[in-house]
Amino acid sequence: MSIGKFLVKRLLQGVLVIWGVITIMFALRAVSPGDPANLIVGPAADPEIRDQVREQYGLNEPIYVQYVDYVQGMVTGDFGYSFQSSREVTTMVLERVPATLELAIAATIIAIVIAVPLGVISASRRNEPADYGATLFSLLGISTPNFWLGLMLILLFAIFLQDPMETYLGFTIPQGRRPVGFGEAMMTLVTTGYAGDLLTWVRHITLPAITLGTYFTAMITRLTRSGMIDEFGKPYVTATEAKGIPYVLIRYKHVLRNTMIPIITVLGLQLGTLIGGAVITETVFNWPGLGDRLIQALNARDWPLMQGIIVFIALGFVLINIAVDALYATLDPRVTNE
Amino acid sequence: MIPDRLESNLRQGFRESLLPKLGLVLLASILIMAIFAPVLATHNPTRTGYLDENGNSYPPLGTSYTTEIGQDGEFVEVEVESTSDHLLGTNDIGQDVFSRLVYGARTSMLVGLLGTGLAVLIGVPFGLVSGYYGGRVDDVMMRIADTMLAFPSLVLALALIGVFGSAGFGIPDPLTRFGLIDGMPESTTLPGTVTVVVALVTWVWFARVARGEAMSVRNEEYVTAARSMGASNWTILFKHVLPNSLTPVIVLATIQVAAVILLESSLSFLGFSGTTLSWGYDISRGQGYQRTSWWISMVPGLGIVFAVIAVNLLGDWLRDALDPNIEGEGGGA
Repeated sequence: MSIGKFLVKRLLQGVLVIWGVITIMFALRAVSPGDPANLIVGPAADPEIRDQVREQYGLNEPIYVQYVDYVQGMVTGDFGYSFQSSREVTTMVLERVPATLELAIAATIIAIVIAVPLGVISASRRNEPADYGATLFSLLGISTPNFWLGLMLILLFAIFLQDPMETYLGFTIPQGRRPVGFGEAMMTLVTTGYAGDLLTWVRHITLPAITLGTYFTAMITRLTRSGMIDEFGKPYVTATEAKGIPYVLIRYKHVLRNTMIPIITVLGLQLGTLIGGAVITETVFNWPGLGDRLIQALNARDWPLMQGIIVFIALGFVLINIAVDALYATLDPRVTNE
Repeated sequence: MIPDRLESNLRQGFRESLLPKLGLVLLASILIMAIFAPVLATHNPTRTGYLDENGNSYPPLGTSYTTEIGQDGEFVEVEVESTSDHLLGTNDIGQDVFSRLVYGARTSMLVGLLGTGLAVLIGVPFGLVSGYYGGRVDDVMMRIADTMLAFPSLVLALALIGVFGSAGFGIPDPLTRFGLIDGMPESTTLPGTVTVVVALVTWVWFARVARGEAMSVRNEEYVTAARSMGASNWTILFKHVLPNSLTPVIVLATIQVAAVILLESSLSFLGFSGTTLSWGYDISRGQGYQRTSWWISMVPGLGIVFAVIAVNLLGDWLRDALDPNIEGEGGGA
């Protein structure tokens, strides 16, 4: 199978999965107790107004008509209107995407930059102090709930270091504010040459990104270490050694490259953990992203908003996994023969 | 259940490394804490009001903090000293933190073990059937599994709890019979919805592993032999395929207990649990009080970290010894 065909097959599977996600969300809403009209106008409202609301939101239609409407809406990008604020769900979702995306990407970058070298060092100096240190760190990292880590970081920076809540060592603990997004900050830098906004952005995102990234740092460290140890035993390593190629080159060029393939797969699968982690990290730091909005929607039982956010997250998840597969197929053409 | 060759791997792994021993000791301590909670707790964990005369929470033994209180219309700084009555201090509404730590172990362990058990019960048969029959059946079942995997587990769990609410069931404390629970709660609340929900969002991992195993053994000679002797598909599945697929399931189940404990604590931190006697919930209680009362959040968090480390250490040991894919790795992480 060529890579093109392989991708088309994966895309079709992805479409099926998204349809499944939409259907599950619809089913959940259908079995959810309580009259949605109550959530919009309150239980004490005039029956006539309630009926009007039910009509307006299509709640009087038979269930299959509602389903068809619902799927149609989703396909055309129309996620309906929020029960609570009456705003368009699509807008409410999209306006929160950059904050979450920036957080997730920053966390991933932190994780990769720290974890890969740490894993390599750990594997190359097996059973030496550096290895024990890295092993202990990664064990702690995968065992610590990130919401607790976030609170402890706030504690560490703001209290034990006897500094006002606002800043320490240039880090700012975000409290429901995010003065500037990455895009804006970059624009300012490029157009005016002023780097202050970008610095502000870095200061705000650092602690949440560390909080979210720690689990992944730990996980990638473990994967890199065990993957490299496996690879070290293979004949090609002995062969390159015999040829006199420097160890550093063997480690970082040959062994690491082969180790990266399984790591990328696992990372694709663990992306859900990253998104779940973002939801909870955002609530700890009042980071105005999708997760923060999801919790608000849940607490208010704002179904259209909740569905919109969840379907959007699932969509992103599926697409990224297809991208990971594509990357995987390029790195290791054997997978397309499956 | 576990082949002899692997059993000796397990023994060797246990003998040669300190980590599985540490994990076992940690897990045993936490289980003892959970089971004998009424005996170990110094106070009723749900009782409020253990505060000093100004309404301040007590800090852990040996520490103190300063806070401001209103007196005669102005703020005065006072020093709050610890008391030997409350080893780890009290929280914002005056509950004993040590007793809540002890009782919190119950919720974590109950949900961790029951939730994972339930996920095994759903996922393993699903995966076995899918892998054994193959073809169309497998295609459809795996698309269902893919759909489940498209939801981040925390997000799906939140959606399910959003629909079904979060109920808890009181389980009478068995220690009542021995007269050991004087002044303690008479029952423990099992967060029922949360237990079911964590199983519903994690069973897919078991299905995937069981499917792989079923696929690899379905053409083995002993399966063909059983079939030629007229054994039904169900007999083959449960008498031959299942026992031979259990090893990786055991490894995964151990690792998943850790994931489930973390998931439960996240849900109760966000306030979507069926009980308030939970480490995650206690961490959320301390949010906003970190400035002075750091122990309210820190103590239950350490409980979670130790429980998860214990399970992870055992999981690593089992995985290194039993999973042939990473055989010879050893040494923990």
